[in-house]
Parts: sequence; C-alpha cells; structure tokens
Amino acid sequence: MTSMGTTGFEITVNLIKTVLVFLMMVQAVPILVWLERRGSAFIQNRFGPNRVGPLGLVQLLADAVKFLTKEDFVPEKGSRFMFYAAPVFALIPAAIAYMAIPMSVPLKLEGATFLIQGFEVNVGIVFVLGVSSLAAYTILMAGWGSGSKYSLMGAMRASAQIISYELALGLSIVGVILIYGTFNLTDMINAQHGALSFSMFGYTVSSAYLPNWGIFYQPIGMILFFAATFAESNRLPFDLAEGEAELVAGFHTEYGGFKMLMFFIGEYGHMMIASGLMATFFFGGYSIWNFTPQQVYEWLYGLVGSELLANILNTVVHFLSYNLKFAIFLWIFIWVRWTLPRFRYDQLMDIGWKTMLPWALANAMLTATLIFAGSYFIF
Amino acid sequence: MTADTFLFWFLAFAIIAGALGVVLMTNPIHSALGLVLTMVSVAAIFVTLQAYFLAGVQLIVYAGAVMVLFVMVLMLFDLKNEIQAFSRGRIRGALKIGSVGILSGLIVGAFAKALIANQALGAKGSLASTASTAVGAIKPLAENLFFNHVFSFELLGVLLLVIAVGTVALSRSKGGTHDRN
Amino acid sequence: MIETNIFTEITANHYLILSAVLFSIGMAGVLVRRNIIVLFMSIELMLNAVNISFVTFSHYFGKVDGQVMVFFVMTIAAAEAAVGLALAVAIFKRFKEVNIRFFEHLKG
Repeated sequence: MTSMGTTGFEITVNLIKTVLVFLMMVQAVPILVWLERRGSAFIQNRFGPNRVGPLGLVQLLADAVKFLTKEDFVPEKGSRFMFYAAPVFALIPAAIAYMAIPMSVPLKLEGATFLIQGFEVNVGIVFVLGVSSLAAYTILMAGWGSGSKYSLMGAMRASAQIISYELALGLSIVGVILIYGTFNLTDMINAQHGALSFSMFGYTVSSAYLPNWGIFYQPIGMILFFAATFAESNRLPFDLAEGEAELVAGFHTEYGGFKMLMFFIGEYGHMMIASGLMATFFFGGYSIWNFTPQQVYEWLYGLVGSELLANILNTVVHFLSYNLKFAIFLWIFIWVRWTLPRFRYDQLMDIGWKTMLPWALANAMLTATLIFAGSYFIF
Repeated sequence: MTADTFLFWFLAFAIIAGALGVVLMTNPIHSALGLVLTMVSVAAIFVTLQAYFLAGVQLIVYAGAVMVLFVMVLMLFDLKNEIQAFSRGRIRGALKIGSVGILSGLIVGAFAKALIANQALGAKGSLASTASTAVGAIKPLAENLFFNHVFSFELLGVLLLVIAVGTVALSRSKGGTHDRN
Repeated sequence: MIETNIFTEITANHYLILSAVLFSIGMAGVLVRRNIIVLFMSIELMLNAVNISFVTFSHYFGKVDGQVMVFFVMTIAAAEAAVGLALAVAIFKRFKEVNIRFFEHLKG
C-alpha cells in the first residue's frame, strides 16, 4: 500500500477518488433495487412497479420519500445506542472493501498516472476479506438493539453463518493466490490479459480464441467462491436469518423506514464486492476477451490519432467492460434469489462446514500439487 | 505535521480510548465494542509500521472472528448492568492499581533511560531503511516462517485441531465433558 | 538531552510506550474487574500490546522474525479465547452466574 501521497495534489486526488467510489456504490443501489423488483416480477410472471416514471424507474425515489417521512422510534426494551448505530455501520465495511478493486486501466495523462480504483492496496485480497468480515457486527448490534427474542435469535444465526462461510471464502481463494503468486489485485488482472497459454510438464498449451481468464485455471474455486459469497451477503438461498415466515424478519424486524433501507444498502454493497471480486479473480477484471490493453490502445490510436484521446478512450472502454461483467454477476445474484428455495439452518451449517470446507481444502491441495509437479517434472 | 504523525496520534488515542472502555464500562457489551475499536486500531498501527499482511490477519482473525465470538457469547448471557462490576474495598483496589502503576512506571522508565543514554532506536525507519521496505513484503515473511519454523507451524495446526475438538466436547449437551449425567 | 521534538517525530519509543500503556490498562482490567468475560477481554488487550511491541522491533531492526512471532501469538490467543469462552458458557449454564467473586468459596 503506498502512502496517502507525497504532494498535496496526490492527497487531494486520493481523497476525491475515495469519495467518488463511495458515492458510486450508494448510487448503484437504486438501480439494483429497480432491477430486483422488475426482474423478480418477470421471473414470477407478473409486472413489477411500472406506474411511477417510465418503466417504473422512479419507484425508489417515491419509496425514499415515503421512508423519510415515517416515524422514528426505538423499541422500549432495546438499547438505544445500538439501535441507531447498527444501520449506520451497515455500509462502512462494504464501502471500504470496494476501494481495493481495480476498475479500469490506469489513466495516463502527460505527467501523471491515475489509478482507477479507490486506493491501491498491496495486500488486496487479505484487506478485502478482513474488512468485509466486519459485517457480522452490523447484524449483532441490530439484533441486540431491538430488544426482542426473535431479533436476537435471527442475529445469532446470521452472524454464526457469516463467520462459518468466511472460512470457505478464504480457502477457495487460496488456489487463485497460488496460481498468480500475489495478493495484489492489479497484478492478478495483469496476469489475465491476452490469450490462454500456460505450460505444464514441459508442454505449452495455448489457444488463440480463449482468453487467459482465471476460470480456466480454477473452475472449482470459482463455484465455491461464488456460493460462499451468497452466504456472506445473506442472500437466498442462505438467507434464513432474514427469512419471512420463519423469524418474522429476523434481525431487522423492529426496523422501519430509512433505517431498514440502510440494511439493504449494506447487503447490496456486499453483493457488489462479491461481483467485483468474481470479475477480478476469474473473469479477467477489466480486460476484453483475449485482447491485451496495449492492443486495444493501438487500435484506438489508429482510429482517433491523438494520444491523449486514445488513452482516455482506452480507460473508458475497459471501464465499460468491467461494468458489463459486474452487472452480469449482480443479475445472477438476483436471478438465483428468486429461483431457488431457502436452506434450513442445519442444512446451511452442514454445507458450510462439511461440504464447502473440505472441497476448498482439496482444491487448494490439488492446485499446489499441480503447480509443483508441472514445473518439476519436465517430460 | 506530516500525515504519519497525525495518523499515529489519532490511532494511539483510539487504542487507549478503546482499552479504557473495556476496563471502565459496567455494561459488558459496551466493553466488547470498545475492544473491537482497539483491535481495528491496532490493525491500522500495523499498517503504519509497514506490516501489511499482519494487519490483514489481525482484522480477519481478531476483529472478524474472536471478537464476534465474544460479542455473541455476551449476548447469549444477557447480563444487564452488573451487580458488582469492580473489586470491592478501597485498600484492595488501591493495591491493585498501585501495582499496575509500578509496573508501567518501570517499563516507561526503562525506555526513557535507554533513550537518553543510547540513542540506539532513532527516527522511524532510520536503522535499516532499505531493509524496512523489504520487511513489509510478504515473501520474506513466508520464507522465514516456512523454512525456519516449519515444525512450530505444523504444531500450531495440531493445536488448533485439539482446540476445535475440545471446544465441541465442552459444549455438547449430551455426551460431552460437561454432561449432566 | 532529548533533542528531537517528541510530538512531531515518531520514533520507536512512541510505539513502545503505547504498547506499555496498553499492557498496563489490560493488567489493571484483569486485577480489578469481576466479570469473567471482561477478564478474558483484558487478557486479549495484553496480548495485543505485546503484538505491537513485536512488530515495532521487527520494523526498526529490519528483520522479519518479529512478525513471525506475532503470527504465533495471534493464533494461540484466538485458540485460548475459544476454549475460555466455551468454559465460560458451561459455567454459566450450571451456575447462572459469571461473577468471579461467587466462585471463590467453592468446596469439593
């Protein structure tokens, strides 16, 4: 991690980028809510909200106005401080963790290079995992502050689920770390540019059509990681903690109005981190199919003729490519939510400890063995 | 005042505030939240000392798992304000605080003497300034851990296995070590 | 004579004194508090103070052995917290009381 910057210019740019990334995350939430409500409606063969604004896009603005004018209360038996603190804390871990994910090629203007991410972190993965594991406190504070037994039980279950699936999450990434040999997310993306080619046991396997993405190296790791992030963000099929008809509404039973919306902002924030990390580890981050950024830059230079404009367009094109992958994964999160039924709590814990953990360990051991054997035994 | 000094004083203040919150608050859940503040600030102090991997591990292990366990257990106990949170008796309490004062005075006095006499530990990073950037990298840490201390590392694994089995045995209601029959 | 200004230039002594103060607060907590869970938390404070001390020395001497030691201390502290809490839960289930003053006169 580099320091905050040596000159005043660098420090200002870093601060502005931090604020911009935070605002980006918060602004993506209304779009996600619209997507969820319309998408779920079409899956369930009904219309979603389509009265307010074209295609129902202004619905969340109307909802926000409704929430802002609701009464602000605290349950009598709850702890007042924690009842207020829990929704405030909901978005903080997700926003900080999202700073580390690189979203595009660094922008090179004359004299300065701007990284298109919130902050460059040298130990990217460890930082993201560590900060997003602070999400368990939101749930615990919410459950305790509500002062009712159902909320507390929901909070206990949810936080036990989160710390169980953190293990599977961390272990499923070990294979990716072994292959790329670094924790730094930018280096991982740089290793995934271009066409597929690797060498093992003395033979070189390469293909002209397939990109060098992580999914071809770690298919099992990808499935395990994706499933674990569902559990980390309390999404169906792992959302027993907030399931209706089981525990009323779990740890956010007693919340109404804007405070409840903050919890959903936090949940969508974790979904965004999961989508961003999926794109970074297994789908090449911001790279476009099997073209390296240098090739794209040269094509754009031939098209436009000016270096400055080609650099800017390069960054923009790669940013759009990252956002496309990001949006596809967010849609898959929403799609799975409205397709699969919910797990029971003991099934959930069984899957986390007895299925995903052994598979992740086996994946890590297999990857390590193959990497060692592939470079040691040359035929 | 550079960013480094400001960061150090801010984090030191947060650590001491969290620690005092642990010791002085009567509601144990407030103590636990104070300890979470301390843990996160210690992770940030590790970053200023350029131990980035350890900062991440501190967040994952301490602030993300151990403290969640503490807070969950406290919420299960459901103790409101405690009936008697601190030691009773003025003389006993004074003796205890006095012994802590003597210990901390000894430690700080030792540092002050070393600072005046030796000047060995100078300004930050001055002693091994080229090596200190290498200390922050993860590869030397991994090499030292796995080449020199591999036996202890494997023993840690066995210890964790024993702890896991033991904890489950302690908390089972039927067939555990604290079974009623 | 101390020549550098102690407020604007951070040396190793600052970190070590921070570690000492944290350790003292943890020790005071262990001696003075009665709730067994708060006792465990004060022990965690002392372990964190020691971790800060190790990392400070690792930084100032340029060797990585201090960080390896911190690795071990963290793992053992986490394991000890788990076992301690399991015992505390077992005690609470039996006696409904976590004040250590209550357990001073147990017989048998």
